[in-house]
Amino acid sequence: MTTAPDLGPGDYPLSVNRQDLLRTPTGKPLSALTMDAVVAGEITAEDLRISAETLQLQAALAESVHRRQLAQNFRRAAELTAVPDAEVLAMYNALRPRASSREALISIAENLESKYHATVCGALVREAAEVYERRDLLAREED
Amino acid sequence: MTAPAAERSLTLKEVGQAQRGSRPDEVVIAVSPAFADPFTKTIVEVPHAEVIRQILAGIEEQGVHARMIKVWDTADLAAVAHIGARLSGSGISVGLLSRGTTMIHQRDLPRLSNLELFPQSPLLDAEVFRLIGSNAAQYAKGESPAPVPTRNDQMARPRWQAKAALLHLKEYECIVAGRRPVEVEPVISRLS
Amino acid sequence: MTTTEGRRSKRTEILEARPVNLDGFVEEWPEKGLVAMESDFDPTPSVRVEDGRIVELDGRARADFDFMDTFIADHALDVETAEEVNAIPSIEIARMLVDPRATRDEVIAVGRGLTPAKILDVVKLMNVVEIMMAMQKMRARRTPANQAHSTSAKDNPIQVAADAAEGALRGFAELETTLGVVRYAPLVAIALQVGGQVGRGGVLTQCALEEATELELGMRGITAYAETISVYGTESVFVDGDDTPWSKTFLAGAYASRGIKMRFTSGTGSEVQMGNAEGRSMLYLEIRCILMAKGAGVQGLQNGSISCIGVPGAVPGGIRAVAAENLIASWMDLECASGNDQSFSHSSMRRVSRALPQLLPGTDFVCSGYSGVPNADNMFAGSNFDVEDYDDWNTIQRDLQVDGGLRHVREPEILQVREKAARALQAVFAELDLPPITDAEVEAAVYAHGSGDYPDRDVLEDLKGAQAVMDRGVTGLDLVKALERTGFHDVAENLLTVLRQRVSGDLLQTSAILTDDFVPLSAINDANDYGGPGSGYRLEGERWEQLKKLRHVTSAENPETEVS
Repeated sequence: MTTAPDLGPGDYPLSVNRQDLLRTPTGKPLSALTMDAVVAGEITAEDLRISAETLQLQAALAESVHRRQLAQNFRRAAELTAVPDAEVLAMYNALRPRASSREALISIAENLESKYHATVCGALVREAAEVYERRDLLAREED
Repeated sequence: MTAPAAERSLTLKEVGQAQRGSRPDEVVIAVSPAFADPFTKTIVEVPHAEVIRQILAGIEEQGVHARMIKVWDTADLAAVAHIGARLSGSGISVGLLSRGTTMIHQRDLPRLSNLELFPQSPLLDAEVFRLIGSNAAQYAKGESPAPVPTRNDQMARPRWQAKAALLHLKEYECIVAGRRPVEVEPVISRLS
Repeated sequence: MTTTEGRRSKRTEILEARPVNLDGFVEEWPEKGLVAMESDFDPTPSVRVEDGRIVELDGRARADFDFMDTFIADHALDVETAEEVNAIPSIEIARMLVDPRATRDEVIAVGRGLTPAKILDVVKLMNVVEIMMAMQKMRARRTPANQAHSTSAKDNPIQVAADAAEGALRGFAELETTLGVVRYAPLVAIALQVGGQVGRGGVLTQCALEEATELELGMRGITAYAETISVYGTESVFVDGDDTPWSKTFLAGAYASRGIKMRFTSGTGSEVQMGNAEGRSMLYLEIRCILMAKGAGVQGLQNGSISCIGVPGAVPGGIRAVAAENLIASWMDLECASGNDQSFSHSSMRRVSRALPQLLPGTDFVCSGYSGVPNADNMFAGSNFDVEDYDDWNTIQRDLQVDGGLRHVREPEILQVREKAARALQAVFAELDLPPITDAEVEAAVYAHGSGDYPDRDVLEDLKGAQAVMDRGVTGLDLVKALERTGFHDVAENLLTVLRQRVSGDLLQTSAILTDDFVPLSAINDANDYGGPGSGYRLEGERWEQLKKLRHVTSAENPETEVS
């Protein structure tokens, strides 16, 4: 993984000032996403998503203006780009009150960490498991 | 404008712990902790007896069976309705709060989704409750009725929201944490 | 002096009949949290840090933290500065907020470590004028903007599209829709997306639904952002809302991972309205929401009581508290979409006065839901303003020389975009094999005011079509193709440009919107630099000339005519 370049407020918006740094998850530059390409069938829904690398760039921009929690959100998001839609939705639903046992949550955390290298997300889920246990928000037997 | 309802009272006789139903042609009516006792009418003074009478009539007109439960451990409409839906043989329920807010729910839907929602309690009158019962029964039969038409009154919030909040605070005080839902038999009797 | 039994003052009768006396007012009940911001039951500020962790927060020890305390202590507050800044006298911090010579950055730096009770302590010292003065400096984006609802009492997609186009033309930067019947969502969201790109390019659209469903629509590119991601100020009410700070934080990351802008929603009064305020004041609990949002790392928050406005509106000082909550969100360096989006009074005077604390200083979105349809069609149960207020709004902007995000537009232009939006949607429906839109419906859309002016659609067929949209996996890209194939090249290009922004993530930054030229404008490249008179955003130049225009302005050159 390449290290993020030193970005500052002057680089924003990236779509105007730093197109050189931007790629779709499918490896295309922004300039490839033209109407002609769409009509020719060369563009798919996957081309209109954000890549993990771009989210790290946005995280660097957020850090440069002292928005550390926003940057952390972007880092979690960068990790989640690797997780398919249905699985993201399933994980979200599993984090809702009394939706999961402790084991189920830990298993999600392990899955995030080992399969998707999503350590920041994994830590969030582990933290949730701990808090839910203390606050009686894990799934109950009869649910 | 329909004629005013005759004076009736509603008593909910407890029958036992609410069980999951097996007959596919039933609708469960799930009411909140303060329904019928201590509250006896909705925010716009439709008697609870009338509310239940109309819902039951709507269900019956469709040839479907009705069963009633009282939920004790929450006053949240979606939760009340969804608990009813999960206990219903058809998976369909009508959920009610004491002030009149109503929802038709289905057991496979997310708790915070619904089949039909009637969020403006001041706009619900006897006629609408009958239609709600009828629609719930049609869903139970696997049909797709057109949703019950409701008025949209933008001034309901300014006029009623604070009173609704106060009523809800009172209903919330009636919650019995941890108490399981109870099956009840609605006894509607005329006063005088 | 005695009055004759039964005889009433004529004046009293007139006053009794005034619209304001139809509104609901209640006595305070502080024990139950039915109080705006002055309550003896709110905690005393305190904080203690040990080994880099907050071990006491507002009188509670960590062992007794509920999940809100835990989340705020571990994610929201800057542990390094907490003890230091909480020791600064509240009066000093309040004065920093108001004094234009204390910069936004300086005030934010102090705010980062403050506890909820300390923040409350500070704003309690400020009257509403001081709150507005602070708001002017603390909003994140320099240029104010506005947001509208476009909905239909019949969930009629053509109405939603036509009104979206008109709203975009009048100046709204964001458009929001919701449904009477949830299953109609895909068609109505498509209508909003298409109509929103006709009025002017760059408008962002959302469809308010249950959380997981809303995310799904966003993932498909049928909506551009999400807002109704609710957070609550007590653990019990949060759980009743079927979420936790952790699930909401994960959801925020999920949206960002798909390049979709989002903000949370909170507001004074929600906890007491849901039955359990744990004895705390409305504003205290809202501050907890704001800090939870901050800790989650979302870029912004919709607040200002929102759908609970009837509750603070019913108690003394409630609208002051609402102004304070918008300020606090901005102070915590979040984008603020500041309410004014829900009906709360029968009185026109009260509707305006409620909005002045946001309109006059300017916020990121002065309204988080001005109704771009008649209120009878507003499926958010009515907004504080609707289409019938457009001319009044534009006049107030002109009277006070403030920019509320809107402008007067002449009828021919409006009719033109309405027709184009209806035609574009007609074409898209045909291309996607959805229930057809007739020429009669298009014609109706051009001249319509409300849903009663449109022919009724076959609802059950539309619902089948809506289901088909979900089953077939229709995406925003399919809409682009459909528009392009049917000759709506500019609308197609506008929509493609909005979708393309997902790749860059520029719209994920704080307070990001798109200009007419599709350039992302956010708190980074349009930072609020207000520092007193002669600084910050000023309504002047070309924009001011635009806002001088009204429906009827007598010409100075020829007083027998009007300015065209």
